[in-house]
Amino acid sequence: MEDFYHIIVNLFFNAPVFIKITVLLIIGFILAITVLIIYLKHIRRRLRNKERIQATYRKKYESELISYLYSGDGDGKINSEQQGIINYLKKCSHNPLKRKILVSTLLKLRNEISGEVADAIQNLYYQIGLENHAAKKLKNKKWNKIAKGILELTQFEIKEVHDEIILHINHPRGEVRKEVQMYLVKIFYFDGLEFLNVIEHYLSEWDQIQLIETLQKFENQQIPDINPWLKSTNDSVVLFAIKLAKIYNQSESKDILLGLLDHDNILVRVNTIDVLNNLYVTEAVPILKENFSKLSIEEQIAFFSMLENIHHNNDIKFIFENINNKNFEIKVSANNIMKALNIEKLNAVMIEAFESETSESSDFITIAS
Amino acid sequence: MNTENILLDLIQYLFFIFSATAIVSYIILAIISVIETKAYMKKNSLVNYSEILASSNSPSISIIAPAYNESLNIIENVRSLLSNHYVNYDVIIVNDGSKDDSLEKLIKAYDLVKVDYLINPAIKTKPLRAGVFKSTNPAFGKLIIVDKENGGKADALNMGLNISPNKYVACIDVDCLLIEDALQKLIKPFLEATDYKVIAAGGVIRIANSCIIKDGKLLDVNLPKNLLVKGQILEYLRAFLLGRMAWSRLNGLLVISGAFGLFDKKIAMKVGGYDTKTVGEDMEIIVRMRKFMEEKNEKYKVAYIPDPLCWTEAPDNYKTFLSQRNRWTRGTIETLKKHRKIGLNPKYRSLGIISFPYWFIFERLAPIIEVIGIIYFMFLLVIKAIRWDYAIIFLVVAYLFTVTFSIVTIITEELTYHQYKKKGMGFELVKIAFLEPFICHPFILYAAIKGNFDYYFNKNIKWGVMTKKGMSN
Repeated sequence: MEDFYHIIVNLFFNAPVFIKITVLLIIGFILAITVLIIYLKHIRRRLRNKERIQATYRKKYESELISYLYSGDGDGKINSEQQGIINYLKKCSHNPLKRKILVSTLLKLRNEISGEVADAIQNLYYQIGLENHAAKKLKNKKWNKIAKGILELTQFEIKEVHDEIILHINHPRGEVRKEVQMYLVKIFYFDGLEFLNVIEHYLSEWDQIQLIETLQKFENQQIPDINPWLKSTNDSVVLFAIKLAKIYNQSESKDILLGLLDHDNILVRVNTIDVLNNLYVTEAVPILKENFSKLSIEEQIAFFSMLENIHHNNDIKFIFENINNKNFEIKVSANNIMKALNIEKLNAVMIEAFESETSESSDFITIAS
Repeated sequence: MNTENILLDLIQYLFFIFSATAIVSYIILAIISVIETKAYMKKNSLVNYSEILASSNSPSISIIAPAYNESLNIIENVRSLLSNHYVNYDVIIVNDGSKDDSLEKLIKAYDLVKVDYLINPAIKTKPLRAGVFKSTNPAFGKLIIVDKENGGKADALNMGLNISPNKYVACIDVDCLLIEDALQKLIKPFLEATDYKVIAAGGVIRIANSCIIKDGKLLDVNLPKNLLVKGQILEYLRAFLLGRMAWSRLNGLLVISGAFGLFDKKIAMKVGGYDTKTVGEDMEIIVRMRKFMEEKNEKYKVAYIPDPLCWTEAPDNYKTFLSQRNRWTRGTIETLKKHRKIGLNPKYRSLGIISFPYWFIFERLAPIIEVIGIIYFMFLLVIKAIRWDYAIIFLVVAYLFTVTFSIVTIITEELTYHQYKKKGMGFELVKIAFLEPFICHPFILYAAIKGNFDYYFNKNIKWGVMTKKGMSN
C-alpha cells in the first residue's frame, strides 16, 4: 500500500507542470462534488425540517390565539390567562423564524374574521410588541428589510409610524417606494395620495395599477383635487391623475385635460384623448380634428376611438375620408362609425362627399351598407 | 521540432483554448445567474400577485396557441388555457389546417358559432378555411377559434397576431400547461419598466412527464423513470436557471422559448411577425425584434424570470428527441445566418459584440468543433501519437466539470423553487448528473451534426416528427 502511494506521489512530482495542474483540478472537482452533494443533502433536509417546524408552530400559535380570543371576559380587559398567552408569544417573538410564523398566523386569522375579534387580534399584535420589531426594520440598512417592515405595518394598519415611513418615499429602491405608497393609500385612503406631491421617481405602470386597485376598494371616500397632479412635472404623476380622472369621472378637470393635449409626452396625450372620450368632452373633437395630420399614429387611433363615441354630422365627411386609412385600427373605427350610422343619413353624407371628389368605393363601405 | 509537430501542437492548443473559454464562460454565466436569481427572489418576496390578478385595469393579453392535429387532447388543453387566473385575457386557438376532427370537437365542446371578424391584414398568412368561431356560452367568452389553411406554426402565430385585439400577446404551445398566475408574473417586467421598453419576456419551462395533472392543473411533481427524460430535466434546469438568467442580466438574450413567451404586439407586428421560412421561429423573432430596437436606438430589454411558469412534455424516445434537437440546430443556423450582419458589429452593442459571437461559437460551432476533436483523436490514435496521460486527464476534467455544474444547478433549484420535494428525488437528480453526459450528450451531438447536414444537403426537411402522448392524467 505504501509502495503504491509512493509510486503515485513520484508519478505526480515527475509529471509535466500541465499534468500537475490538471490533476490538482481533478482533486478540486472531486472535493467540490463531494462538498456540494453533502450540502445538497443538508439543504434538502433543512428545507423539509423548516416546513415541518413551520407547520407545527403555525398549529401551535393558532391554538394559542384561539385560546386567547375565547378566554376573554368580554369587558375588553386582559385577564391572567390571556396575559400568560401574551407573555408566551412575546417570548417566542424574539426568535426571527417564530416571529415570522406568528405574524403570518395573526394575519391569516385577522383576514378570516371581522368585527371585535379582528380588533382583539390587532390589539394582541400591539401587546406582543410586534409593531416595534417591524418599526425597527425601517432603520435597517438593507432595502428588503425596510420594505418587509413597511409591508407588515401596512398589513396591521399601524398609523403611528406614518412620519417614519414617509421618509422613504423617494428611496432609491422602487420596491421600498412601492411599499410606502401602498402603506399610505391602504391606511389613509385618498389622503395617502399626498405622496404624489413629493415623489421624484417615476411611478411604474405596475405601481399605478396596484394603487388604483387599492383605492377602488374604498367606497364613500372624498376624492381629492386632482388638478395639481395633472399639472405635475413628473409625467407618471400626470398619467396616474389621468387614470383617476377617468375612473372617478372628474369632469371638473376638463379644461386642464384639454390643455394636456399639447403635453410633450405622447403617452400623456394619448391617455388624455382616452379620458376626454370617457368624460364625453365634445370640445376635444374639433381641436383634434383640426390637428389630425400632425398627431402621432397612437393619438390618431385614440381620436378615432373617441369619434366612435362622440361625433356630429359635420364629422362624418372627415370620418369617411379616413375609411381607407392605412392604419387598420383607424379603418376599423371609421367602418364601425359608418355601420352605426343611419343609412339615409349616411347616403346624404356620401352624396355630399362624392360631389367634391370621385372617390372609389371601399370594401368597408360595402360591408357597412 | 518539425513542421508536423508544430501543426499538431497548434491544433491541440486551439482545442484547449476553446474548451477553457467554454468552461470559463459557463462559470461566469452561472455566477451572474445565481446573483440575478437571488436578487429576483429578494425583490419578488414582497409581491402580491393577487392584487393585479383581479384588476380590470391590468393590460389585456391574448394567448395565441397554434394547433395542428391535436384532436386527442385539444379540449383539455383549451380548458387549461381558459382556467388562468388573470382577468384581462383572451385565448386564440389557431387550428392550422388540421386534418383530424379538432375543429368539430371544439365546436361541440365549447358551443362555437361562426362569426364575422375583421382581421388585420398586416402580416401575410395562409387564408382562413372554415373561418373564425366564438362561443355562445358566456363561460367561454374569452375563447376565439380560428380555422385556417395549413401554413406551419409561424404562420398560425402570425394569424393570431393579426387577430389579437390586445396590446400583449402570449405565444404558447397548445399542449403546454401554464401555471395559473403565469400571465401576471410575466406581464410584471413590462409594467415595471420605466426608462426602457420590455419587448418580450420568457420564463422557465419545466418538464411535466410523470407529473400528476388534473383539469389543467399541476397537482404533483414527479421524476419520470425514463432516463432520457430525466436527463432532459437536468438539461432544462441548467439552461434556464444557469444560462438564460445571466443573458437576461447582460441584456443579451437571443431566445424566448417557443413553448411560452410574452411579446409587445406592436413591436412583434412592426417587424413583420414570425418568419415562416425558418424552423427556429422563436429565436428568429427575438433577434429581429432586438435588431429593430437597436436600429431605432431605443432603450429596450428582453426580460426573463426564473419562475417555473410553463410545464411541457419532453420526448421520451430517442427518435423524437433527435428530431427535436435536429430542428433546434437548423433553427439556430438559419437565424444566425440570416442576421449575420449583427455579429461583431459595434452598431448593435452587446447584441453584436457579446451575444451573437457567443451563440455562434458555443452554440453553432460547438458540436462541429467537438466532432472535429473526435476525428483528430482518431487520427492521433491511428498514427499512435496519443499522449494517453493528457487524453485521460482532460476527459476526466471535462466530465467532472459537467457533473459539478449540474449539481450546482440542482442546488440552485432547491434554494429557489424547490419543486422536487419528495424524499429520494435529490439523490435521483444527483445520479442523473453523473449519467447525463452519457445518456443525452452523445445524442445531442449526433442530432446537431445531422441538423447541420440536413440544413446544407437536405433542404426539404422541415419540422420533423414530434409525437406527444399528452399530459392529462
